[in-house]
Amino acid sequence: MASGPLRDIRILDLTHVWAGPLATRILADLGAEVVKIEAPMGRGPRFYGGIPIGGFIGREPGDEPYNSNAAFVKLQRNKKSVALDLKTQDGREAFLNLVAEADVVIENFSASAMTDLKLDYRHLQKANPKVIHIAMPGYGLTGPYSNRVAFGPTVEPMSGLTQVMGYSEHELRSTAMALPDPIAALHAVSAVLTAIQKRERTGTGELVEMSLHESAVSAHGAWIVEAQLGNRNLTPQGNRHPEMAPHGVYSCKGDDEWVAIACRNDEDWRSLCICLGEDLDAGLTLSERMSNHDEIDKYITAWCKMRPPAEVVHTLQEHQVPAGHVRITPEMTSDPHVQFREFFVPLENDTPIPGNPIKMDRISPSDWTPCPRLGEHNESVLKNWAGFTDEEIDRLKHLNVIVDKPPR
Amino acid sequence: MMLTVVEIGGYAAGYCGRLFAQTGNLVTHVKVGDLPPAWTSKEAMDVFLHSDKTMLESQDLNEVSRLAGSADIAILEASTADEVESLGFDDWSCPVKVAITPFGRTGPHKNWQATSSTLLAMGGFTNLMGDPDRAPLTLPGHFVEFQSGGFAYSAVLACGLADESNSIDIGMLEVVMALSQFTTVMWHCADIVRSRHGNDFWSVVPTNLFRCLDGWVYINIVPGFWDPFVAFLELPELVLDKRFVTNTRRMQNRDGLHEITAGVLAKLTRDEVQQRAVDCRIPLGAVLSFDEVLDDAHLASRDMWISRTTPSAQTVSVPRLPWLCHDTFPTDQMSDF
Repeated sequence: MASGPLRDIRILDLTHVWAGPLATRILADLGAEVVKIEAPMGRGPRFYGGIPIGGFIGREPGDEPYNSNAAFVKLQRNKKSVALDLKTQDGREAFLNLVAEADVVIENFSASAMTDLKLDYRHLQKANPKVIHIAMPGYGLTGPYSNRVAFGPTVEPMSGLTQVMGYSEHELRSTAMALPDPIAALHAVSAVLTAIQKRERTGTGELVEMSLHESAVSAHGAWIVEAQLGNRNLTPQGNRHPEMAPHGVYSCKGDDEWVAIACRNDEDWRSLCICLGEDLDAGLTLSERMSNHDEIDKYITAWCKMRPPAEVVHTLQEHQVPAGHVRITPEMTSDPHVQFREFFVPLENDTPIPGNPIKMDRISPSDWTPCPRLGEHNESVLKNWAGFTDEEIDRLKHLNVIVDKPPR
Repeated sequence: MMLTVVEIGGYAAGYCGRLFAQTGNLVTHVKVGDLPPAWTSKEAMDVFLHSDKTMLESQDLNEVSRLAGSADIAILEASTADEVESLGFDDWSCPVKVAITPFGRTGPHKNWQATSSTLLAMGGFTNLMGDPDRAPLTLPGHFVEFQSGGFAYSAVLACGLADESNSIDIGMLEVVMALSQFTTVMWHCADIVRSRHGNDFWSVVPTNLFRCLDGWVYINIVPGFWDPFVAFLELPELVLDKRFVTNTRRMQNRDGLHEITAGVLAKLTRDEVQQRAVDCRIPLGAVLSFDEVLDDAHLASRDMWISRTTPSAQTVSVPRLPWLCHDTFPTDQMSDF
């Protein structure tokens, strides 16, 4: 378990897919004791028919492919695993025994799932009046959409983002990467910590809803205010920016090589003109640059097209102009700056996994632990948290209420 | 206990301060220099970020240092590591302080210049957005800054819960990379460089934007939803169609499936499509404008909006905190206890 400021906080983690597990990974990085309560089939079947979307850690499925799904493993460091069948009476009772010792229960099931399991807040509260229940259903627990099926990619357009995303008004684009998920993950971390802080004052737990939908809507709040004020035309502008010019993504020398360049102010523009060495007027104002953006883009593109992206970025950064290479993964992980700060953590069979951007004393990847195997901590958690005896644990094993392999 | 928070800088510090203000703390925004360009007007951004805060302006670094040092928490956002130092951050005496910079306070690029779009590019997001044969698209808005502010908020609260003093360093590039999906492991574990495919999620089919009679909807049919999706299309024969029996087969026959889906949806209104999705329980979301988001009955029923007044005396709706707290269980989800 990681050290860190949350070392006295116990979290039962029922989350799956992306938003929830990312939230609990961040909390675990900060030192919380996060116990992942997994369904016996939560990591998929015992034998895989194909290759999962992110491949296998170590590139091979190995003897336990369900423990090697890279997209899953990436989100589970510093956690413990208890594989417990909550659909059985024994499993449910064991879970409520753990709830009695927990500070937080977090889940991102559909709105009715916890009620169907008879594990909604009323039951959790009965087991432990101080427990905090973070529920992350797609559209919240109440309201007309509460029973809709929600994933990040379908929630994104419901948040309004697509109104401003695309090449033009007639070419709307989704991010196609489920942006509401990481937004909700971080909001969930904030919600957990805020609720714990509040509990220190009130002495009682509470139910906190953290809907994927509302999280995304909230993150677009400035645009929502803008829509009411009418100061700006809210349509897709491609890679242009309403207050910066030039601002774009420019093709460089090489196959599908691009660089993002932005001039925040007149000073950046003057520096860019020095770099380009063309007949550009360094005295153009922002509004003049906006009016002549197409023409300026032609100059920038011609200059970039002659150079590889590293040279473009290096030259512009030397002149204090914001520029960044549009990178793919191997370019990110090999970046000297990223390596200097040891951001990627090789915990999982030397696979670089993104670290935690919070850098402070008493948080160090040196004491982080890799993704646990399915059910690796069944016994230790049931004994240490809830005082289960060997006999009780053997009984749960015999009934397949706790498992360390998916069912055949 | 109400915390005193001093916040200096742009939109990351502003978002962090917003979370503190909305959770009942006393937040002072200190404007030291010019703010970076924003995606919205200053008026809109101010109402969104800075309602419920005290606003100050000062160019006197001693005064700034005194304000920051006297708070419980200081949040500083700066354009480079050197700027953090020049503002005297290391001498501020408050128990918990956070410096948010594009590249963090250490490393060879600590003084590189950046904007949201250059960080998204370097962090691997931009390469995934847009069409394969065109320029990649940046993400409009302040995702990078707001998420950085979120990390700052969490880090500060974590220190507070442990009653620990700390000086926290948050690099926005690392925030972007930390929030990547499966892109990094896809390369290291499957030798696949994830790339952009327009509106298509690519590895899960069909997942794309489709036009209906009066708008657009986004569909995301992960494998477990294939049978309900066939019911949604009212084309039960597709269940037995060998072109589509697995996600792999659907990827191979993507264009054909898109054509079938587009043909069905083109004859329906957006409301009809959404109702069918509800009836068949498939993941589908309508493309809503911000005006439609504001008018949305679901959000209204959940008290999503709070009223605030702009400097020009206009009353506007602003999103509440992203999360909702209940002392008791909501009645909508009640069943037998």
